[in-house]
Amino acid sequence: MLISFSICSTMLHDLLQGTDTGGLFIIQDSGSCSGRRLLWSFIKAALNRTEAVHVLSFEVSEDELKDGLKGSPIERLHFHNAYSDPLAWTGSATFTVDQFCVEKVTKLIKQTSQVKTAILAIDSLSWILRHISPSAVCKTLQQLKNGGCVANVIGLLHSDMHSRGTVGSLCHLATSLITVKAVLRGDQAMITKRLKSGKVLQGEEVFTIKDDLTVIGQGKPSRSEPQEQMCISNMADPTANLTFNLRLSESQREAKEKLALPFVFSKEKKAALLHTGSGRIVYEPDANDDYDQEDPDDDLDV
Amino acid sequence: MFAELNSILNVSPEHFSTGEFVLLSDRQSDASFLLHHFLGFYLRAGCQVCFVALAQSFSHYSAVSQRLGVNLSQAKEKGQLVFLEGLQESLSILNPHDARTGSEAMDFLRNPGAGLQCLFQFVSSSVDHSRGAEDGGRGPPVLLVDDLSMLLSLGVGVDAVLDFSHYCRTAICSQLKGNVVMLLRCDGEDDDDDDVGSDDGSERLLRGLTHQCSLALHVQSLPTGYCRDIHGQVEMCDRRRQAGGQQRKMTFHFKVHDKGASFFAPGTSSAVL
Repeated sequence: MLISFSICSTMLHDLLQGTDTGGLFIIQDSGSCSGRRLLWSFIKAALNRTEAVHVLSFEVSEDELKDGLKGSPIERLHFHNAYSDPLAWTGSATFTVDQFCVEKVTKLIKQTSQVKTAILAIDSLSWILRHISPSAVCKTLQQLKNGGCVANVIGLLHSDMHSRGTVGSLCHLATSLITVKAVLRGDQAMITKRLKSGKVLQGEEVFTIKDDLTVIGQGKPSRSEPQEQMCISNMADPTANLTFNLRLSESQREAKEKLALPFVFSKEKKAALLHTGSGRIVYEPDANDDYDQEDPDDDLDV
Repeated sequence: MFAELNSILNVSPEHFSTGEFVLLSDRQSDASFLLHHFLGFYLRAGCQVCFVALAQSFSHYSAVSQRLGVNLSQAKEKGQLVFLEGLQESLSILNPHDARTGSEAMDFLRNPGAGLQCLFQFVSSSVDHSRGAEDGGRGPPVLLVDDLSMLLSLGVGVDAVLDFSHYCRTAICSQLKGNVVMLLRCDGEDDDDDDVGSDDGSERLLRGLTHQCSLALHVQSLPTGYCRDIHGQVEMCDRRRQAGGQQRKMTFHFKVHDKGASFFAPGTSSAVL
């Protein structure tokens, strides 16, 4: 089945082609919009390009991942199971969260594949961040990115699970950052891409993902999306067709605008109330007033 | 078991999907009626049920289930229901003079910071034990927890609860192809929007569990206030893979009766129509 894409190549599709190396892609999602299927689309695109893909999975089982990637060439997919026993509670651990450091991850990848153009997908970084400090995770990701045992690293991050500082630190490391959120027409991706020259490209696109994990671009997000939900387009003029007159003539409108409202504190009123400079307060004590400043209670009969 | 909820979720005791993690949550309302529904549903379906009850005693659940037509005592005697009565079991740990030794499941009370590995081991052993029992004709195993916010109040951290729910999902949903239903009650405090990750309470736990679950039912009171005929609204969010990738979200109003609950689309309450 031939699927036609929009004529202009979108940033999202460029990222899916994956031509750069030494990159860290982070997909940020939240509870209301999951980025996992977009992560799977990246995995599928890499498999289709005949690259080896290592998936370090904490949050989904192998069956669920392979079910999601149905129809893709999964011979080059290496699944590293950190889902069954990441904390070594049941004694069946193949990879625990404590082992997330550059030496052990590199060893894991080299054991199963010697291919240079390998991609490492991590599902998810949030799981690791719950057990390992953000600085250690950032250090490991930076070393993996520059280490050379994998060409690119892609991670899924649940941004609503961590403080802004942690999310910010990780996103700062990323060469490409995709934030997904749900909108009416599909999912909206806000993409930030840092090129090696130092230039930063940003874009927003709406996309949907089909069952076979193909990403279909739906174009730019329309600015009036929030107003669509309010449905006040094409409202009729309410002052038409009435038996009484609600409109104002020009002279009436001018008079209305000139009118000073009673409780508004304008410049003229302020000047009228304040006597600047020429005032003096004169106090003449009455017979009943006690003018003795030293003892204010002197007039009490106690 | 509420028939209308079954038709909304498109399930029946004879036909339901397995490997599901259902999250029931509420905010300034009470979602425990949904837990009674699922308890009755899975017992009627013939599943092996493990119920971790931290909020109420066994007699409470038994009395409510009786009204819904399910006999918990009988299910417990038959071995279909394994019931952990948290309130009872914790007495021996909380009272140092008590000579009885309670279940090891509640050992986390001695050291809440250490995590819920003991509770998980109780769950997995009770599920494994009943799988090996002589009656092999049982349905898939089901775990029900009432409720997770109790664990937070007892000093267990949000991360420890998320680890526990992860392991329950791994063991029961993925390995044994069963279902897990957990109730979480949020206290409705406005968390600091500036730094959501540092909030160590029920809101962060709710967000974490939302990422893990496959079906989320969130109960809230009506935003417009109290109503005699409508007790609240349920937001149902189906996170399973949908064609087109978007999650399916639906909102219903409900009214809880003496012997059940009725669900209807917003605006179609029988008092209004």
